[in-house]
Amino acid sequence: MPSNHNSIKTRFTYRFARSLKKLNKNRPASQSMKETYRRYHMIRVASYASMASAVGPKRAWSRAVLWKIRNRTLHRTLMKKSRIHVLRTRKVSGNPNDLRKLVPGGEGMDFCRLLNETAHYIKCLRTQVQIMKNIVDHCSN
Amino acid sequence: MNINSLLNQEQSLQEIHSHQNGQPQMSSHFDPTSSHDDFLEQMLSSIPSSTSAFTWDVSSVAGRAENQTPPSSLLSQFDDQSALLVSKLRQHQISSGAAKALMLQQQLMLSRGLAGNGLRSPTGASGGESGLLQMPLSLNNGDHADVVDGSFQSANPANDASMQGLFNGFTGSLGQTANQSQHFHHPQAQNFGAAASPAMNQPAVSGSTGGGTPAQPRQRVRARRGQATDPHSIAERLRRERIAERMKALQELVPNANKTDKASMLDEIIDYVKFLQLQVKVLSMSRLGGAAAVAPLVADMSSEGRSSNGTQTASSSNNNDNMTVTEHQVAKLMEEDMGSAMQYLQGKGLCLMPISLATAISTATCHSRNPIATSNNLHTSNNPLISGEAGGPSSPSMSVLTVQSAAFGGNGAGEASVKDATSVSKS
Repeated sequence: MPSNHNSIKTRFTYRFARSLKKLNKNRPASQSMKETYRRYHMIRVASYASMASAVGPKRAWSRAVLWKIRNRTLHRTLMKKSRIHVLRTRKVSGNPNDLRKLVPGGEGMDFCRLLNETAHYIKCLRTQVQIMKNIVDHCSN
Repeated sequence: MNINSLLNQEQSLQEIHSHQNGQPQMSSHFDPTSSHDDFLEQMLSSIPSSTSAFTWDVSSVAGRAENQTPPSSLLSQFDDQSALLVSKLRQHQISSGAAKALMLQQQLMLSRGLAGNGLRSPTGASGGESGLLQMPLSLNNGDHADVVDGSFQSANPANDASMQGLFNGFTGSLGQTANQSQHFHHPQAQNFGAAASPAMNQPAVSGSTGGGTPAQPRQRVRARRGQATDPHSIAERLRRERIAERMKALQELVPNANKTDKASMLDEIIDYVKFLQLQVKVLSMSRLGGAAAVAPLVADMSSEGRSSNGTQTASSSNNNDNMTVTEHQVAKLMEEDMGSAMQYLQGKGLCLMPISLATAISTATCHSRNPIATSNNLHTSNNPLISGEAGGPSSPSMSVLTVQSAAFGGNGAGEASVKDATSVSKS
């Protein structure tokens, strides 16, 4: 659906640019390595979060991303230590297992649905990369 | 109403059958609230592919009908052929076994469907055939993949083969062999998926049912291997088809998708997802663009976002306003020096090209892109961040960065700037 995808593009760009502005406003004076890498990480998380919120709760993977981020901000250390055992499926077989780890929310669904989500996830990832490239080109004048 | 009486017939038969054999699986498959077309489709879909059709020998049917019909009031509306089938069904329920009885039952339902269609048309045989020809049309209209009941959707291959089996039965010989070869050349078969052909090429022998059939040996329907009436295998088949469908869709998204093997295709997909995620990571590292650079960008975004609310028209007008500034700057630069104008544009990710080339490219490829504002003399795209597609690593993207500066010498009026890579891949 090209029209839906265009609106996703618009929403993502808007949200991502806004979060970038926020991040840049609070730019720390110190240029230490740790701060720099932390900033990289926050930009990356902001990118995924903007895409997930642009997609909305319609897709399982976007819900998983938003849920993870929300929980991450609330319980940082807790999430690092304990894993979510509820969403584990019974079958673990080679390839689909790797794909499940890659696609957010892929642990708790059957293979057929996983393929569906992967297709949409790939589409949105491509959009994300393209727009980020455009921003980089635009800003490097 | 014919269909309602058909429905009642089926249900009563179902009850009889399940009562006698203790197999309740078929009774749960009917949805009495379905419409006519749905009912026809359901009946057709539940029929296993029958290689050898039943004979339409009316005389023998008439003879049998008198002896063995169930309460005649029920069958009075139908053809005599259905009476034959009912009698055969009874025989099989008693003699051979559940599977064959099920098949015959489904045959019966199909014949009743034909009869139901045939009742609307003038003559019996031609009515049957026209019913047969009508059915593929309705099958084409129906969307089998979305119906919930999995066991009922014993798949398009089953439909296909059963339709073709009937067609052969109608037009072919009356003296059938038990194992007809599976090369049906029904013209409407091409509408169905290619998955039908491997299923059809399987031999149609079910060993248990090949045995003792004393009375009519030629009309016995054998279950195809791999298309048994077991609902579990039907659901399995359906699931496999869905997976194949989704893999095909993924193949279009992922580049280098010429692998036919499912496992290697999965590997490709995994690698591609990893690659994209790595790209996001790298891009987020490189984005230390100053706040100054990002701020006017955000101003653009916010104005677009508030004014358009997702619609394209308002945003495009805003974009045009934003782009005129760029155009003026380009025009000023071009007066001084062409090279600097080019560099300025390229820094923005734009390029100059003659209008003829731009229109040719846009009509050829940009059918799914953002609407390019063609009302100006200068062809401008939307906000350069959103428009076009830079393309994946090896996706077939047309790079429109060719700047024909020589052409501009004589082409003063015609200028256009288009976003660089216009991808032909679907998105």
